[in-house]
Amino acid sequence: MDMQIETRLSCQLERYLDLAAGQAKLTAANMANIDTPGYRAMGMDFEAEMRDAMNGVDQGRAPRRPHIKAVDGLIARPDGNNVSMDRESMNLAEAQLKFKVGVALLRVQNQNLLDAIHADGK
Amino acid sequence: MNLFGMMDTSGGAMQAERMRAEVVAANMANAETTRTASGGPYRRQHVVFAANQGDPGFLDSLASATGSSGTLPALNASNAGSVAPGVHISAVVEDQSAPLKRYDPGHPDAGQDGYVSYPDINPLTEMVDLMGATRAYGLNSSAVQAEKGMITSSLEIVKT
Repeated sequence: MDMQIETRLSCQLERYLDLAAGQAKLTAANMANIDTPGYRAMGMDFEAEMRDAMNGVDQGRAPRRPHIKAVDGLIARPDGNNVSMDRESMNLAEAQLKFKVGVALLRVQNQNLLDAIHADGK
Repeated sequence: MNLFGMMDTSGGAMQAERMRAEVVAANMANAETTRTASGGPYRRQHVVFAANQGDPGFLDSLASATGSSGTLPALNASNAGSVAPGVHISAVVEDQSAPLKRYDPGHPDAGQDGYVSYPDINPLTEMVDLMGATRAYGLNSSAVQAEKGMITSSLEIVKT
């Protein structure tokens, strides 16, 4: 049986962290433009991107950039800007938590690997 | 994805909002100013925010997502379809509305008719603008906190 440093789970976690960082970045861009006239909030479908990334890991595909699109269903203010402070705050908190979950899981992976390396008790 | 790029985005926004608050403060400070270097009463200043041009990464991603650049809501005609990762102040413009006239013949800046031109500054409008700037500043500063937390937690990966 072959042994590899990168497991399927760690590859998936890598994509997960990338997507969480991407979501946080989009949220930061939306927050920065909260007072820019005519700006439209941008977002991505995290679940669909993650599903695609997991398929990508199984098929050995290189990661691709997430699809970014304008967010529908937001109420635009008179200046044409539709960034909602509350929505962006929630999104940022969510992205941050996702990132931290990914980091924690990746640490467990690394810890398992190190446990295997130190299995001789030295 | 670069986590430090997010801090640039939020930091740039904080800078822009602080500039806006400074302009509001200047407006309120000069609410009764009747003499300026250019002559006449002080004129109310506004800041104009503009979204930055999208970075190439975002643009590539958009082009691959939509197949064309015309399907996204345009910020304006020149950069149709780009996602703007940040904000900057494109201009500080003067309000062109007519000054307020107050009858005060004893004032050194009174005109022939005894009226003095005062800047048209409404403290309420300025305070609302200041509140908006403060709130947006706070929002972006909490975004910076969140980004710092993410960067710190990513350092945890290498710790054992």
